[in-house]
Amino acid sequence: MVFDRERKMWWLSLASLPALVAAAVVINAWRNIENYRHRIETDITQGPDHLDYAGATWRLENVRLLGDGRDAKLRLPGQMRLVIVRLVATATRDIGDAWGQCEVSLTDGTGRRWLPLDVSLSNDISRDLDPGREPVSGCGITSLKPPPKDHAALIEEKFVVPAEAVPVLSVKLSTAALRPKAIGFALDLN
Amino acid sequence: MTRPAPMVLTIVPVAALLAALQATTPPYAMLTGPIRTTGHQTETVLSTTFGVKVHRVLKAGTIAYTRFGRAVQLQTSGVWIVVSAELRAFQETMPVRAATLIGASGRSYRQSRRAGEAPGILSAKVVQPGLPTTGIFVFELPDDETLGMKLVLSEQYDPQLKDEIGVFLEDDGTASRDRLEIGKDGV
Repeated sequence: MVFDRERKMWWLSLASLPALVAAAVVINAWRNIENYRHRIETDITQGPDHLDYAGATWRLENVRLLGDGRDAKLRLPGQMRLVIVRLVATATRDIGDAWGQCEVSLTDGTGRRWLPLDVSLSNDISRDLDPGREPVSGCGITSLKPPPKDHAALIEEKFVVPAEAVPVLSVKLSTAALRPKAIGFALDLN
Repeated sequence: MTRPAPMVLTIVPVAALLAALQATTPPYAMLTGPIRTTGHQTETVLSTTFGVKVHRVLKAGTIAYTRFGRAVQLQTSGVWIVVSAELRAFQETMPVRAATLIGASGRSYRQSRRAGEAPGILSAKVVQPGLPTTGIFVFELPDDETLGMKLVLSEQYDPQLKDEIGVFLEDDGTASRDRLEIGKDGV
């Protein structure tokens, strides 16, 4: 009797091994998929005006296109253009660390994506363009000290893009906690 | 008690199956390794995310450049290999930080840190989609390694599931000189 029970348990343990291995693979894959989802932007809310995201109302404050000689009489070589994007975020609640790993990028509708210049180069350009003013921080630095409720923060990011992409550029913004959700504004640069 | 015959009949095939699976499964490093694209110096080699066109491969005993107004001259007991190239990014802003030269013996030589401050070092640049950029990679290696070299480029060293481009460099295109001046516009 005891032997029969022991034998049943033995076979049951052996038979359950494939199911346990499969379950471990599925759980691991699910975790990886969740991690991957927090790195991509697929659910993008495109706004003409104001958009609510990550505890704040966001709007596109100002966009500058430099390099073709029209703004600041700056001419960059060849097809190179500098796009400066300013966004204003007004906090609608206590943000805390909800803006962690904030990412701002430009996209052109064909899948190409431009990332912002690094902080030191961006600040150097700001000082060259406007020597009397402190450079405006990007999203990453602002996320470390977000504005309190009902206060606004100005965020500036700079991008180097080819001239042919300028007319179709959109800016996208996302935070790690909310990805793959993101918000976007068309830049309407011509 | 479990009888030995069914146990053996179960364990032996399962062990054989597991051994077969283990023997035929590619190693993890291969499964998650680089996505390789290979070409020759005469062509533009393109991967999904970036592309490279090698323009010149120069050999020299001494390289010279100016750094912050100060003349720098670097000598070697081997040979300096300076590769000038054009990089293109297709999908996203990216650096190409990893450059390795595989020599005649198969040994790999990473970029020289001694020449890391030379002007136009490509691995210090960030490549923007739609804006090709030109520059140089500098290597220092023994003289007998310079035949049949292969340049290997990727975003980071030891890429995993990311593009890696290999370019076979032309032997007869490797001109040798005593001193090579690296200017702001390259070589």
